[in-house]
Amino acid sequence: MERKLPYYTEPFERTGLARRFLDAFAAILTHSNYDLILDAYARLGTRCSRCTDLCQVYQATGRTEDIPCHRSELLLRVYRRYFTAPGRWKGRLFESFTLTDEHIYEMAESFYRCTACRRCKLECPMGIDHGLMTHLGRWILAEIDIIPKALLVSVREQLEGETKNTSAIPVPALIDNCQFLEEEFEEIYGVPVKFPIDVTGAEWVFFPAVSDYLLEPDTLMGVAAVMHVTKGSWTIGTGNFDGINYGLFYSDRMLGRIVRNEAKEVRRLRAGGVLVGECGHATRSATFLATYAAEDPPKLLNILQYTHRAWKEGRLGLKKGVIEERTTYHDPCNIARTNWIVEEPREILRHICADYVDMVPNRSENYCCGGGGGTVSIDEIREFRTGIGGKRKAQQIRDTGARYVVAPCANCKKQLREVCEDHGLSEVQVVGLHDLILKAIDWEALKAEAKAGPGAEPTAAAPPPGAETGKEES
Amino acid sequence: MESWIEWARGPAFRLALALLLLGLLRHVLLTVIGVREAMRKAGDKVLPGKRIRAAVLSWLFPVKRLGTRTVFSTASVIFHLGALLTPLFLLTHVVLVRESIGLSWPTLPPLGADLLTLAALLGLAVMLAIRVASRPVRVLSRFGDYALLVLTALPFLTGFLLAHPAWNPIPFGPAMLLHVLSADLLMALIPFTKLVHIALLPATQLVSEVGWHFIPDAGEQVARTLGKENQPI
Repeated sequence: MERKLPYYTEPFERTGLARRFLDAFAAILTHSNYDLILDAYARLGTRCSRCTDLCQVYQATGRTEDIPCHRSELLLRVYRRYFTAPGRWKGRLFESFTLTDEHIYEMAESFYRCTACRRCKLECPMGIDHGLMTHLGRWILAEIDIIPKALLVSVREQLEGETKNTSAIPVPALIDNCQFLEEEFEEIYGVPVKFPIDVTGAEWVFFPAVSDYLLEPDTLMGVAAVMHVTKGSWTIGTGNFDGINYGLFYSDRMLGRIVRNEAKEVRRLRAGGVLVGECGHATRSATFLATYAAEDPPKLLNILQYTHRAWKEGRLGLKKGVIEERTTYHDPCNIARTNWIVEEPREILRHICADYVDMVPNRSENYCCGGGGGTVSIDEIREFRTGIGGKRKAQQIRDTGARYVVAPCANCKKQLREVCEDHGLSEVQVVGLHDLILKAIDWEALKAEAKAGPGAEPTAAAPPPGAETGKEES
Repeated sequence: MESWIEWARGPAFRLALALLLLGLLRHVLLTVIGVREAMRKAGDKVLPGKRIRAAVLSWLFPVKRLGTRTVFSTASVIFHLGALLTPLFLLTHVVLVRESIGLSWPTLPPLGADLLTLAALLGLAVMLAIRVASRPVRVLSRFGDYALLVLTALPFLTGFLLAHPAWNPIPFGPAMLLHVLSADLLMALIPFTKLVHIALLPATQLVSEVGWHFIPDAGEQVARTLGKENQPI
């Protein structure tokens, strides 16, 4: 009987699974750096179980299968047996572990119960990065076509589809959408904020999670408002306007292709760099520009960093304490686990919110929203995601008593909304940081200033001199 | 008995020491070469040095790590203190070294050595108890994890008994033989078991960071090897 996986996949060849898994594993070991890592991990694991104190999935289930060290061991066992000399000899001489279909299905289930949040690494005395093992395990599985369908179809559309983005938004719809938001600005605030499209020579090309164009108009308007007020030089490229990179979640091969496409769009528009929107994994995957566009890597900045810098330099005025309801902040793992972007949003929030409280624990020790590692896109595992993966997060949110949960990440936002829904936190609103920034910009003061100053009306995208507007052949 | 002890302290000890030192040296060299090679092939050549150093130091001096699994962690720390200091700075060990190769270094006072030995044994006992009693550790444990704990305890236990003949129920000869042989075996096994962390611990944080430094064309090479180059997604 065919074993059922917890998530949908496209039909895949079920015969010779073990042989093909080992072939894929061997090919990856030959051409990548993973051999060094596996060799160290296979020797060093002390099986101390400290990681169980950190994993929110294990905390919720208490199942042996959910211990991070146990999960990594699934892959390390295969590595030891088939790719190390002692393992091969042991296999020849004695009855020992043999890779079976059952073991492969176990990995296929287990590696997608891990949210790849890498929290467990913080407390591994041996420095074992179980998130990296999940990452590698999923790639090997992907090469034998075991991939959650939700991730696969998104990447297929992004790399080989007509629209070239994961939400399948055609360019005319994108332009319509931006125009609509510009009209909204005119109507609500009476300011001519622009969403510059295909401006050549801008400093930044904007790569949000493309789903923001469908689901997060407030976040996008907040971003555009900040760029307008700070006279930022930015553009949206019609050749590629999607920062999402599910390659990070299941295949280094796809990761590289998607990252190279980002670099290509930056070069096409003769821009300076990549400005990533509010999205954790999009930001972290863009750090691989240094890997896949190593010859001439574009600059990389997250919008949180941009906004924070502008505010600190006095180029962006924000009203103090304008958000009265209690507000808390969720750290997206992909930008917080290494303490990368953690203080910038907090400093802004402490300024614009009258009642800001931190979740505990936070920053590099934050708990994952429960939908990390791409699992948020897999709708059919919602019960697992919110009931188990998001259980700890729901408690954290409840403990703060916050009305607003700020999560500067498209994936976290979707997951947290579902977590709140499924845990009876109906009064909680999950928003992006720029949603609140939009409310904190003092438009009246800006307009008054513009009237007073000679020709000081802020222009939308202020491209450097000589910059021309117009779409180019990609 | 005398000749057995002499064998254990002589040729067997030298063999064990050679295995230990050469084995660890091999691991260190292979790791250094492996890391250099991986970084040479990686697209991104920058490593977060400061973060790696901070992580390594925090594990070499794990004061701040006692909050997680406090009893287990404390037991582990006091075991490591005893296990590192006693064998190296025990008066009788230093005397043996001086008599054979003429080198000498400061030694522990007898009371200090006793306390550290007991600390090592207590640490081991607690770690063993937790390994048996606590579910997540028990389900992860394999035979080797228990065997290594017992084997590690043997030289410390017999050493303590040898230093306190009044409490020693076993005759001196067999106790000494057991002491030296178990220590020989433990030394020889270090490079082949998880105890290799004695040498590799400072490198593990680095290795994990290197793990995220990919080779730019690895994906395409894998596709070629698997015959998938022109396959649509």
